[in-house]
Amino acid sequence: MQAWIDFGEGPLFRFSFVLMLLGLGRIFVLTLVNVAEAYRRSPDKILNYREIRHKTIAWLIPTSRLWRKRPVYSGISFLFHLGLILGPLFLTAHVNLWKLSVGFAWFTLPQGLANLLTLAAIIGALALFLMRVFYSPARALSRRQDYAWPLLLAIPFLTGYLMVNNTLTAGAYQAMMLVHLYTAAFIMLLIPFTKIAHCVLVPLSQLVTAVSWKFPAGTGARVLETLGLSERPTWVDKPRLDIAPVKLPDLIKVQSQKKEAKAS
Amino acid sequence: MKLTSLTPDEQHKAFANSKKTEVLHRQNLPVSYHVEDHDVQDRPRRFLEAFAAILKHSNYRVALEHYVRVSAKCSRCTTHCQVYLATSDPRDVPCNRSELLLSVYRRHFTVSGLLRGRLTADAGLTDEHIKRMAEAFYTCTACRRCHFECPLGVDHALITHLARYILSEIGISPRALVVSVREQLIGASGNTSAIPVPALLDNLEFLSEDMKEEKGVPIPFPIDQEGAEFLFLPAVSDFLMEADTLMGNAAVFAATGDRWTVGTGYFDGINYGLFYNDQVLEKVLLKIKAEAERLKVKKILIGECGHASRSAKFFYPTFCGGKAALPVINILEYTWQRWKEGRIKLDPNIVTDKVTYHDPCNISRPGWIVEQPREVLKAFCQNYVEMTPNRRDNICCGGGGGTVSIDEIRPYRTIVAGRAKAEQIRATGAKYVVAPCANCKKQLRELVEDNNLNCEIVGLHDLIYKAIIFDKQG
Ligand code: SF4
Repeated sequence: MQAWIDFGEGPLFRFSFVLMLLGLGRIFVLTLVNVAEAYRRSPDKILNYREIRHKTIAWLIPTSRLWRKRPVYSGISFLFHLGLILGPLFLTAHVNLWKLSVGFAWFTLPQGLANLLTLAAIIGALALFLMRVFYSPARALSRRQDYAWPLLLAIPFLTGYLMVNNTLTAGAYQAMMLVHLYTAAFIMLLIPFTKIAHCVLVPLSQLVTAVSWKFPAGTGARVLETLGLSERPTWVDKPRLDIAPVKLPDLIKVQSQKKEAKAS
Repeated sequence: MKLTSLTPDEQHKAFANSKKTEVLHRQNLPVSYHVEDHDVQDRPRRFLEAFAAILKHSNYRVALEHYVRVSAKCSRCTTHCQVYLATSDPRDVPCNRSELLLSVYRRHFTVSGLLRGRLTADAGLTDEHIKRMAEAFYTCTACRRCHFECPLGVDHALITHLARYILSEIGISPRALVVSVREQLIGASGNTSAIPVPALLDNLEFLSEDMKEEKGVPIPFPIDQEGAEFLFLPAVSDFLMEADTLMGNAAVFAATGDRWTVGTGYFDGINYGLFYNDQVLEKVLLKIKAEAERLKVKKILIGECGHASRSAKFFYPTFCGGKAALPVINILEYTWQRWKEGRIKLDPNIVTDKVTYHDPCNISRPGWIVEQPREVLKAFCQNYVEMTPNRRDNICCGGGGGTVSIDEIRPYRTIVAGRAKAEQIRATGAKYVVAPCANCKKQLRELVEDNNLNCEIVGLHDLIYKAIIFDKQG
């Protein structure tokens, strides 16, 4: 079993981690390139950067906006994300591993806080899963992956928590470690290709939306040309130009009737 | 916001389909709005072709690509859509509605979707799916309120806009909109209400005379003034239906003395292109540009109309010369500015009833016109109250996205889409609801009527007209 663990800790981790970084980097850069291209295509260069920045920050650091609607759900979701991001990144055990393999490290969280964050991630994941199952509009929205993600994400956190906080027999510890390493690697491999990609894409959302509302000039005509419909765009499909125009006397009658009605 | 749920009776009324069975059969499209006959053969293939062509020539791909990646299906938007609040139908959750189009994109325009097509029995887009989209994207009022509540930043109104555009390319769009646009672009009158120029002139003269009688000073509507500062384009229906608003507009100019003009070459601010077709959007704006160039004006001034303002403000630069394009302003901004400069005087003792303000989505959502009309209103209405929620977060009147022009879905608009708005208005107890938008006004009047609310819907300039004071010497 130790050989499997060594593989998971070494080559597998390195492979999935690098792939995750490359994958996320790729879509991040691609999105930026797309945005730049769209911006170039539109003659309208007026972008409200202040507004974009404001909205982006409001969602990245949700201090007020989040709580106004559905505060319980929002609170859980917030803590869940906090645990998910900070926990693994600043855990002493993880940071030490980095130090061993690449030679540098960063600050770590005190064990108590790390524990709390891990618990927040685990409980949050379960709560979000249950909410999906029992809140009917959420159920209507959910795809299979939406149910699977919180459960999958909870596994490495749960095993990690157990390993740190319990005295396990050597065999159990190894089994935990195995599950921990392999699910983590699996998750990292999936991230760039699934909705979890939002972890790097969200900061770009407001910019993307703003730029998408900037249209290139002449799109409509080019679309019709491509479709071979230049001669009959939809708005002349069935010309009916014989609509009787509103007559003069009618107009005046309408106005004076209105006046009279008001006066009386 | 909690709403009472629909009774079965209301449910039935709101979603009843008024079409004859043979029409339903012929068009094979069970949507509640009327559609002109179109080619029903092979709709999925043609939809995909149109989709592909639009993706190729537009900027939508950036958004779709991004949205299919980030959309986490968190269901937070349920709290924000006035349609879902009224129906509690999961199909009306904004994210679910958008998924209708995103799933087509994912299946037919991404690598993973194409692989799935190869590997599984997934046949791809079906006619059924098109029918669902045709219904769903016209129950959304494109109000953009849900955009604020999406943590992932998905803009569902953009998806609605695109979906309607694609649908229109295969002939599926509300007849009410198509007919108006046809008249505007190739009809004899050249505007959506089919008002001929002589009728317009006569009407304006009539109003001028009226105003002179009432206010004791000449208040003209300048026609075809070359070199004027502002080219005035209200929603053209204002010329027929909103005489009071127009008189208020003219009175403001009479007070400030700025040079403005109505152009007989083109005088319609309405742009249904914003609701369903980008080519229409472009063509209408080019008509405005041509008229502005003919009269050599310096600014485009849009009347009290939300969508006309938004389509001009945010798309005029796109189609009419980028940075060099003429500036576009809205009459509310103009009036506010001049009032601040002290050039408009308002009598605070005229409007004593309770007044509230409805933010039209198209001008308030981007944060463009929010405080200006409020400041003016508070200055001369003694009894001003706010609705909640308000300002940028305000709830749509229920007739946004062009749905207000579709008369056959009035029950849907006043029972479902406007339900939240009706509650809001009722809660204020106001006598006057100020709604500076032609679409909002029409919808709100119908809402008031169908829901037995006790208030009057007016424009901001209707009230200004009542309260404005003229120096008789000047
Ligand atoms: S744009 Fe408005 S109507 Fe459409 S889904 Fe969003 S909140 Fe609902």
